[in-house]
Formats: sequence, structure tokens, C-alpha cells
Amino acid sequence: MGNKHTVFTHEQLEAYQDCTFFTRKEIMRLYYRYQDLAPQLVPLDYTSCPDVKVPYELIGTMPELKDNPFRQRIAQVFSEDGDGHMTLDNFLDMFSVMSEMAPRDLKAYYAFKIYDFNNDDYICAWDLEQTVTKLTRGELNAEEVSLVCEKVLDEADGDHDGRLSLEDFQNMILRAPDFLR
Amino acid sequence: MCAYYRNNAYEEDPDYPDYSGAQNHTRGYVKTRDYPDSPGPLNNSNYPSTRSNPYSVGSRSSDYPQSLAEPDYIGSQSNPFHPGSSREPGYPASQQNPDFADSRGGGHYASSRTNPDYLGPFGEPDYPGAQGNSNHPGPRSHSNYPGSRRNPEHAGSRINPYIDTLGEPDYPGAENHFKSLNFFEEPDYPGAEDYQNSPDIWGAPDYPGAENDRDYGSSENPVLSRTSSIQPSFHRGDDDPLGILGREDGDYPESIEMNSMEMANPYGHPVPGAPGNGYVNPAYVGDDSPGQAYGDPLLSGCDWLKSPQGQKLIASLIPMTSRDRIKAIRNQPRTMEEKRNLRKMVDREKSKQPRGVLDFHCCAQGLSSIALAYRRAKSSLSELLSSISLWQKTLKVIGGKFGTSVLSYFNFLRWLLKFNIFSFVVTFSFIIIPQLTVAEKNNLQFTGLEFLTGAGYFSDTVMYYGFYTNSTIRHGNGGASYDMQLAYIFTVGVCLVICFFSLLFSMARYFRNNFINPHIYSRGIAKLIFCWDFTVTHQSAVKLKQKNLSTEIRENLSEIRQENIKLTLNQQLARFCAHLAAWVVSTGVAVACCVAVYYLAENNSKFLENHREPGAVLLLPFVVSCINLAVPRLYSMFRLVERYEMPRHEVYILLIRNIFLKISIIGILCYYWLNIVALAGEECWETLIGQEIYRLLLMDFVFSLADSFLGEFLRRIIGMRLITSLGLQEFDIARNVLELIYAQTLVWIGTFFCPLLPLIQMITLFIMFYVKNISLMMNFQPPSKAWRAAQMVTFFILLLFFPSFTGVLCTLAITIWRLKPSADCGPFRGLPVFIQSIYSWIDTLSKRPSYLWVVWIYRNLIGSVHFFFILTLIVLIITYLYWQITEGRKIMIRLLHEQIINEGKDKMFLIEKLIKLQDMEKRANPERRDVEQLGPLHVREHDAAPDLRFRRSVQEDNPKV
Repeated sequence: MGNKHTVFTHEQLEAYQDCTFFTRKEIMRLYYRYQDLAPQLVPLDYTSCPDVKVPYELIGTMPELKDNPFRQRIAQVFSEDGDGHMTLDNFLDMFSVMSEMAPRDLKAYYAFKIYDFNNDDYICAWDLEQTVTKLTRGELNAEEVSLVCEKVLDEADGDHDGRLSLEDFQNMILRAPDFLR
Repeated sequence: MCAYYRNNAYEEDPDYPDYSGAQNHTRGYVKTRDYPDSPGPLNNSNYPSTRSNPYSVGSRSSDYPQSLAEPDYIGSQSNPFHPGSSREPGYPASQQNPDFADSRGGGHYASSRTNPDYLGPFGEPDYPGAQGNSNHPGPRSHSNYPGSRRNPEHAGSRINPYIDTLGEPDYPGAENHFKSLNFFEEPDYPGAEDYQNSPDIWGAPDYPGAENDRDYGSSENPVLSRTSSIQPSFHRGDDDPLGILGREDGDYPESIEMNSMEMANPYGHPVPGAPGNGYVNPAYVGDDSPGQAYGDPLLSGCDWLKSPQGQKLIASLIPMTSRDRIKAIRNQPRTMEEKRNLRKMVDREKSKQPRGVLDFHCCAQGLSSIALAYRRAKSSLSELLSSISLWQKTLKVIGGKFGTSVLSYFNFLRWLLKFNIFSFVVTFSFIIIPQLTVAEKNNLQFTGLEFLTGAGYFSDTVMYYGFYTNSTIRHGNGGASYDMQLAYIFTVGVCLVICFFSLLFSMARYFRNNFINPHIYSRGIAKLIFCWDFTVTHQSAVKLKQKNLSTEIRENLSEIRQENIKLTLNQQLARFCAHLAAWVVSTGVAVACCVAVYYLAENNSKFLENHREPGAVLLLPFVVSCINLAVPRLYSMFRLVERYEMPRHEVYILLIRNIFLKISIIGILCYYWLNIVALAGEECWETLIGQEIYRLLLMDFVFSLADSFLGEFLRRIIGMRLITSLGLQEFDIARNVLELIYAQTLVWIGTFFCPLLPLIQMITLFIMFYVKNISLMMNFQPPSKAWRAAQMVTFFILLLFFPSFTGVLCTLAITIWRLKPSADCGPFRGLPVFIQSIYSWIDTLSKRPSYLWVVWIYRNLIGSVHFFFILTLIVLIITYLYWQITEGRKIMIRLLHEQIINEGKDKMFLIEKLIKLQDMEKRANPERRDVEQLGPLHVREHDAAPDLRFRRSVQEDNPKV
């Protein structure tokens, strides 16, 4: 117990517990992982809420993200200012959403954000192209990519406005329970 | 970084009202009414001059006076004028000052607001920075507010944006909302020094940046005109400057939200006075977009908490129980900080409520502390549970390397293991322990071969039916008695009933979750693209998955391309013939296997008479296991002939054939046991069946082990070294799952004859997990096809329920109701049928008046045909009604879908129209172009972008920096 209190106050831990899907122990573990990313940057005392950010270059080296084709997008989506640099809060947020306890709706919301490359709240053809390119590491040629995008829009665009809104996306996810497990 | 700071600036807005900012704003507006004589145009004319005069320079650094001055505000808090000067910065409208020179509609308004207010602070003598501060025309300084954030000298220090909170602790009235910010708050603000040192900066006579205001402040008229609508709400603030601050805060940002939203709206376009520049407001554009990265599309920062939605959310959270509340808060797609604020606000609101009744106060306090303690205990308990949760880490690794589809097999295995643990606990505590207390000495020789055959030494242990006594167990005189007969039948019965319901419920849950709207399934390219498995983290696995995905997409595309090409009649015929042949062959093989097993079983007793050695009994299980090993592989080879278009079809067909084979073999064996073994008059036939099942199970386990260690290993060697074109094999989920289902079916049947079977299955499953895990890691590659893992699990459980578990129920029902128990062993010895034990129990009970209700229940509900008839009828009616409701819902869904499409069309139409209108406007008023030149980037962007929402544009910062 004693060790925990030097990092967080009791209230802080409680707040973290209530705001994430993690237990106290997991939060501490995540904190230490966060701390390990940049030991000289992250203080060992968080009781005063220091404003510390770990740069994306370090976040991206984590084994969970290292090989994920969307790692940069994930970091951007969860970071406060969209540049991938993360505070501890952002970090916990990210893991909370990615954890298996998180409900699908929440995951779908963030997945939508991740796929929405230009942050315009719609997944448009351009976003789709980015997604496909990232997913296939450029193995498909341009014509195939555009055909895929066309098909996707065809399938998932509920209101036929040429792009996927959050509702379209969630609707599609609901139909396919394998997403975002 | 810019975005970050600006965002904070925006988030701070709500703070200003905290320390009585609300009144000030109101004042600003109210003043326009109170001082109608304040000559707007006059002010406007002043503005250009102010720009060149020294104040304007100071205005750039409007933060500084604020940060300096705030401590002094303690006393002056009641002075509404004073904060007004510094608070207003947050106000978007204030950015317009430079435009007032252009005398747009709102110009009068804002400017008129400026003069009287700002005279107030001038009068404050105790102001260190008063000269600098007060002399600025308020709005000027505000306009620079966001700009100052971007000043190079501040950008360096992170605390700058928070400086405004510096003074906050001094304002008791502000506490409510200020709390929400104390995350930013630091015990000491190093930045404050910077500010104090900065007079020379803002004292500099000529600040080039000051001119910048003009650039982006070009025309915020729409905003202004809209902000005026806030007046009423702020008016309230005047009446009670401190008391309802909290509520005021709510209003204030809310109105900002309105602005920003409306600006994002099409409304902006048709306003002729504003040539589409309503969008230009840099504070919004800048502040909104970073918010989009994580927040609601329209709201950002903690503002959403105070927005109507946020308020509604808070209101809805308050009445919830703490558990639901935490759950709801967790599920908010918000940043941690916002969630924390939300939690705090809700807690505060919650704590306010019971205060009304003072008597209950301490009681409520006690209750809440108890609730807190309970919550803590529960969370630590869940921590404990999660730490003992089996194989958590291994499953993570599997998921990371092979994806969810393979993971589903292991999850299924774990689920079965839990099932068996439960069965074992029940049978162990209610049958085995009581029996052990009266166990007789076992004088059979233990040779070691018993582990394989299950016979010999084991047949005289608690493992088998025959060992159990039919007497009533009684320890000591007058102690409670324990009727073994009833215990046996009830334990097995309860076990099966619980299994039935848990299967049923988990099946229903899976169906509900995974088959929502199955009828709108389409080709599924969208799914391919968006179903990136975020659990996969292994590098080579990721690469492989990407490769597989691209091939699959390609296949899919080629299918789409080919769709138009219809197969010729010949091809269709050929395909049909192939399918038919495959079905005929597979069914034929299954039937042949069944016949073989039947004859083997029938002749088994003769064979055993001739061969007395104990290993001979292993022949039948060996043959069955061989069939189970070989035939499914044969079935898998049919895919070469059949060529299904959809991989899913192939898997389903394979599953159906395999389950047909396995279940019919088990069915044949059951027939053999119940009709031949049971009626053969053998001594203690129940134990014989138990041994047979034990052997089958064990042989199956041995074969699986051998298959994993030898077969799969050899296959890898072949694939890697000899025939490299084969490559690594993929994990066959369907076959492996069917093996599990087969074993589980045997266990369920065997529980009656061999109560220790769940324990054995537990052990085998436990070992299987590790064996399969090791084999998987060494010999397999991730599956190349995208699997519908969730639906497959549903299907597995359905299979487990339907042929398997229902078959078991039938078998056991026949055993219990029809068959005569062996005369010399087991708890039911001497009875005509097993169920007779229940009948006689009911008879005894009916003689005791206190137990008549049990008898009544038995006679009228369980034993009555009429009751079941009525029950069935009711269930059928309910099913029919639900069926109809589902049909109706389907129609409804279709209609709603059409409606959505129509709405989308409407939207597109309106957008087109708006764009046209806008173009026309521009052509009609070419002189506006000059104005637009002031903020050209934004205008252009919005002309270009048909969508009416904001896009974040970095360029917006450029003119200012």
C-alpha cells in the first residue's frame, strides 16, 4: 500500500478507477509502464498532477503499438492535442478503451476516430484509402484501392451521402460482432 | 503545440464565469441596454487609433495584467466591473474589435459594451498593473487573448494557459467550477514569474503583433448577433452575483457552444451581411478542432459538461446507483480529465441532495461511508478474482499472435473447463464425500494399467456407479441421515438442469449479441477493412495478417468482378454434381463407420471372452478414436473437389458433416450400451458402461496428445523441409472444437455412470490447453481467412446444446425411466427402474403431513401430463407472438432504413443549394472580396469544402504568428 501513496493520492487512484476499466493494481502497473517509457521525464510523484507528456516517439515503441499499422492514429486520437504526445491521463484512457472490458460502443467510437484520418467526423473516401493502404501495406494498386473504397461506401453508407458518419459506422459494427474484440 | 494551447485557452473560458465572470458579461450586454446613448460609431472610430496607441500593445499581453491583478481581486470580487475587464477575454465576440471599424452590424453592440465597463477598472487604485490593464479598451485585450497564446515567448512555457487559474483559490464563490480545473493547477506557477517580468514586453510601445488582430477578426458579426441571445441568461447573473454562479457557468459556455455550432451551421452562409466569414473566428476554429480529436464532434474541452448534453448527462447520472454511475462514466467517450470532472460534478450534486433533510444527514453520511467501503472491498475483490483468473496472460499471447479466431477455441476450452469444475464440485460434495465416509476397503490389486482401461482396481472405487451404496448413511446415533439413492439421482439431475440453463442462457446471449440483423448481410468488404484485429501485436503476425488481408480483399474484388459473369449450365451442373458426390461420399463414410462400430461393439463381448488380457478392452475405443482422427481429415480434403465460393460455407458444411459423424457414432454406442449391455444381464452393467466411457475419453485424449505432438509436428517438418510449397499449416478451429464437443458429450453421458468423470475431463482439458498452446506456437501460422469468430462461437455453443446436450438428456432419460438397474450393485439395486426411487420417496413423503406441498408439486406439476401440455401450449403461443413481433420489427427496420436514405438525400440537396446561394452572393457583392482578403484562408477553405463542419487548418495560425 505504502508505495502506491507516494505516486498517487487515494482520491486520484479512486478517480482513475472510476474513470477507467482498471483495477488499482492495473493502474499502478500502467503507471510504471508509462514511467518506464521516459524515466527521466515522468516524475515518481503524481500527487500534484504534473503536466508531463511522453512524446509519441516513445509511446510508439510500446509492444502493444509497435507493430500496429494504426499506431500513429491511435496515439493521435488519444492524445490531448492530436499530435501523439501523451499525458498519463491520455495513456490510461488509451489502455482503458483498448482493454477487453470496454464495451463495443466505446470501442466503435474510438475506432471511428482512428479511421477518420482527417478529423472531419466522417470517414470519407480519402480516409478509406488511407485505411486500406495502411492495412495492406500498399500491396493493392490504386485501382483496386479505389474499388475497395467504393464498395465499402456502397455497403456501409446508410444515408447515401458518400461518406460514413459515426452512425453508419456503428451500425455496421453492430452487424459484425467480430470487430474490435 | 499551438493547437494544444489554444485548446486550453478555450477550456478556460468557463472559468471566467467562475469568479463572477458571468455578471461581467452580462454587464457587457446589459450595458448596451443601460447605456443606449453610448455612441457606437464613436467608439468605432476610436478603434483604429487605439490600435496604434500603446495600449493596444499591452492588449496583446492581456494575460499579464490578469495574472498579476487577480490576487488583488479578492477584495474587489464584489465589484462587478473589474473582473469584467479581464474576464472577457474568453468571450469570443470580443475578438471583433478591429472590425468595428468596418462597422458591421454588431459593431455598435460590442463597442458600446466596451466603454462604460472598462471605466470601472480604471478607477481601481490598488492595481499594480492597472495602468497597463485598465487603459486597454477591454475588447482589444480580449481579442488578443488567443493570440497571446501563440506568442513565441509564451509558447515555450507550458503553464501559461493555466495562469488564469492562479488566483482562483482566492475566490470562494468560484470553487464549484474551478475544481474542474485543478488538474492544471500547480502549487507554484513558475510561469507567473515570467509574467511579472514581462511588463517590458507589454509596455513596449509598438507591438507588431497587435496589428494581427485585424487579420482574423475580420467579421464575426454572425457570432455577435447570436451572442446577443445570451443576454437573458446572463441577466440573471446580475440579480444574484454570487449565489447562482454555478448555474451561470452552465449558461455561459453553453452559449458559446451555440455559437460555435451555429457557426458551423449552414446558417452562416445565407447571412448576407457576413460573407461567409462567420467561420473565420480563429478562436473557434482553433479551439474546436483539437477538441474533435477526442471529444464530441461539436463540443470540446470541458465545455461539453456544461453544454445541454453535458447537463443532461449529469442530471441523468445523479439518480443512478453508484455502480451504474461509474459504469456510465467509464463508458463516456471522453478524456480522462473530462470524465474526472464529470465524476466530481455528479458527486457534488449528489452530495448536495440529501442536505435538505438534516436529520438524515449523519445517517446518510454513515450510509455513504459504508457504500464507499463496500465499493472498495468489491474492487479489491475483483482485483483478486482477476489475478486468479486462469490463463489470462497465455490467452493474451495467443490473441496477439493468432488473432481472435484461434483465441475463440481456447476461450471455448476454458469455458468448458469451468463447466466441468462446476459439475465436479457438485458431484464431489453431494455424492462422493458422503460415499467416502462409509467406504469399504478396496482389496483389488493395482497394476497401473487401470489408468488406461479404467477397470480392475478402479471399479471398486468412488469412480463408478457400482461402488455406491443404496443405504441411508447415518453417522452416530440420531445424526442426520443421508439417503444415497436420492442424493445420487438428485445430484445428477440438478447438475444436468443447471448445465441446461447455463447453456441455454449463454446461447441466447450469444445469439442476441452476434446475430443482430443477420438479414442485411452483404459481401463484407467493409467488414474486412474495419475488422483490423487490434489484439494482434506480434510483428510477424501483423505482417502476415496484412498480407492475408490484401489477398482476401483481392479475392473479394475478383468475386465482385466475376459476379456479372454467370456460370454456364455445364459449370453449374458440374458444381452441383461435385457437391452431391461429396455429400454422398461423406454420408456414406459416416454410415459405414457407424456400422463398423456397431458390429465391433456387438462382437466385443465375444472377443473379450476369447481374449482375457486386460488390454483387450481397449480395442473398441481405439477403433472409435481412429475413426475420429481419420475421417474428419478426409472430409477436409473434399474442399479440393467442392470449391465453395465462400469460406464460411465451407466451414459450416465441414462442421455439419463432422458433427453428423461424431454424434452418430456416439448414438450407436449409446444404443449398444442401453440395448445390449444393459439387457445382457451382466453383473453391474452401469459400471461397465462407465468404464467404457472412461476408456473412450482417455483414448480420445491420448489421440489428441499424439496428434498434437506427432502429427502436427511432423506436418510442420514436412511443410518446412520436404515440401515447402505446403508451408505451415493453419489451426483447424472447426475440427478442434468438435473434438471438445465430442469429449464433453461423453462426459455428460458418463456422469451418471461414473461420477468422477468431470474431474477426469477437468484434468484432460487442463493438459490439453497447454499442449495445444505449445503446438500452436510451434507448428502453426495464423489463419489466412477472416473468421467470424464471434458467430462461430455461437455456432459451437449451439452444437453443444442441440445435438450433444439434448442427445445426452434423451439417453439419460431412457436410462432412468426404462432400464432396470443391476441387482447387486449401485445405489439403485433391487429397484425395477431408476425412477422408482423418486416414486417411493414421494410415497413416504405423502405420509408426512408437513411435506404435503412437495407431494402436491410433484403430482400436479412434475408428474402431470396436463401441466406439461398447458406449459407447452403457453410456450408455443409466446413463441408465436415473439415471432410476429420480430416480423413487425423487420418491416419497421426496413422503413426506417428507407427514411435514413431519404434524409441523406435531403441533406445533400440542401448542401448543394447552400453552396449555390453562397456563390451567388459572392458574385453579387464583389466588394466583399476586399474584406475577405483580411481572412482569405478561411473563406477559401469554406468555399472549397462542401461539408459544413470545421476542418482543422493549421494555416489559420500562420497569419498571426
